[in-house]
Amino acid sequence: MSTAERAIPSELAHEESIPRFDIHQRIQHLFLMLSFAVLVVTGMPLKFAESGISKWWIGVLGGVEPTRLIHRGAAWVMIATCVYHLAYLIYNVVVQKKKFTDMIPTKRDVILFFDEIAYFVGLRKEKPRYGRYNWREKFDYFAMFWGIPVMALSGLVMMFPVFATKYLPGWVVPVALIAHSDEAMLALTWIVIVHIFFNHFSPGTFPMNTSIFTGKLSRGRYMTEHPVEYEKITGQPAEARESK
Amino acid sequence: MIARKITKRKWWILPAGLLVLIGLFFVLNKSPAYALDESGCLQCHGNAGLTGTDNVGQKVSLYVDQQSIDTGAHRYIDCVACHSAKPHDAGTSLTKESMTQLCGSCHQYEEKQYVQSIHGQQVAQGDGAAASCVDCHSSDGNPHSVMRTLEYTAPTYKKNIAATCAACHAQEDLMANYGIVEKVYESYMRSFHGKALSLGMYRPTELDKATCTNCHGAHDIKAVTDPSSPVAGLDNLSKTCESCHPGAGVQFAAGFLGHKEASPQNIPAAHYTEIIFSTLLITVVAFGVIIMLLAFRKFVAMRWKEKA
Repeated sequence: MSTAERAIPSELAHEESIPRFDIHQRIQHLFLMLSFAVLVVTGMPLKFAESGISKWWIGVLGGVEPTRLIHRGAAWVMIATCVYHLAYLIYNVVVQKKKFTDMIPTKRDVILFFDEIAYFVGLRKEKPRYGRYNWREKFDYFAMFWGIPVMALSGLVMMFPVFATKYLPGWVVPVALIAHSDEAMLALTWIVIVHIFFNHFSPGTFPMNTSIFTGKLSRGRYMTEHPVEYEKITGQPAEARESK
Repeated sequence: MIARKITKRKWWILPAGLLVLIGLFFVLNKSPAYALDESGCLQCHGNAGLTGTDNVGQKVSLYVDQQSIDTGAHRYIDCVACHSAKPHDAGTSLTKESMTQLCGSCHQYEEKQYVQSIHGQQVAQGDGAAASCVDCHSSDGNPHSVMRTLEYTAPTYKKNIAATCAACHAQEDLMANYGIVEKVYESYMRSFHGKALSLGMYRPTELDKATCTNCHGAHDIKAVTDPSSPVAGLDNLSKTCESCHPGAGVQFAAGFLGHKEASPQNIPAAHYTEIIFSTLLITVVAFGVIIMLLAFRKFVAMRWKEKA
């Protein structure tokens, strides 16, 4: 959502926290997160079937059929969440005529990416000044447009192999298994290594960044994390209270 | 006084004690079933050291392990039912082939199927390595300890069949003699069927997954090169798939990797998908790890500076 329409500066002048996500975005993230977690804990024991811990965990879940049932249930929840997001996106752009320009990657994101690397290795003294979304948030968001179709399509092929091979060549089934398995590992490792690290262990966020759940981010954090957007929506310089 | 105390305060002690007693009765009252031995054969043959000499002058052990019979499927069938009315007249040990004929004197249908199977044909040609009845039905190859298929420790119990076949079919050197180069057991255990069956519980809805015999046949098992094998050619294979997957067609069967790895010759699409996705996985994860480590180093350094 475009920042200009999202907040009114005069209202924010004395608030300690600033709205960042609307209710739909928070619900979408929550359901995506929960379905992802369930898919991981029911999918991994099927991928690593030979390990003892998988056998134990499948036993806890009540067997391989209940595990598959839970996995498929969570998959439908994830697909429904994505449909919800697409409907939300289309409604806001087509009906409400809002412009979702903040999420679109630009040349500036490439520059800010290298600036951040330079900051991490000490070549740059200051943190890059981000707008509403930093390059990591944009990467996470657009990775979904690759990951969800791969996972959903390959999952559906494996869910309905007889139906799929009625219209498609037989090799789609082994291909679906490979794609599903590798893409799952990619999503899981990225979420664990990058997403969780930056949203739980970066300075000022430990134990966790709650803005995606509460919809709000504290004024101080907004200034340091998204200074460009902060200045746009409040009309105040972001450095003013950075010391806090 | 004491009695009144019990009845008033600890009334539950009596039923609880009764329950424990009943439990103990079932736990301790585990008298084993003994094999039927009407002719008293085990009085001599139960001795581990008993040996004899056959017609050819070979010394053979005549020992019969009673425990193996006690838990065997035929424990209530008397020795002479198989060993003939005058067992001491038998001059030679049984061969693989004669033993299958002996089993077939009762299990006629199975024997009829078996003699037409690839195992049966090999045994008839004097192949000592090919499987006969006891190789699959007894966990130690001893005919006395043949177990019923529905006992879950039986080598032919649904969950154990793959491992039973693997006892021979996972031996590369042995299989090379028959031109079987595929790693059938490994690839099966990696497959949907193998994983589902090995992870599954011991109940019917978890056991209705295909194992070796569901596709290849059991007593009537055929070589995959035999056109009458249920897995020979896509037409036969798709019909076999259909017995569990209603509506499965030739393309469904064509998606099977044939107990082999995907390669440029064997379902190339799967082979290249593997390469593309593993490259993507390694690249993106490596990128993520590098970013995370750089950030981690920076955050630690910042904190260290703050403290100093």
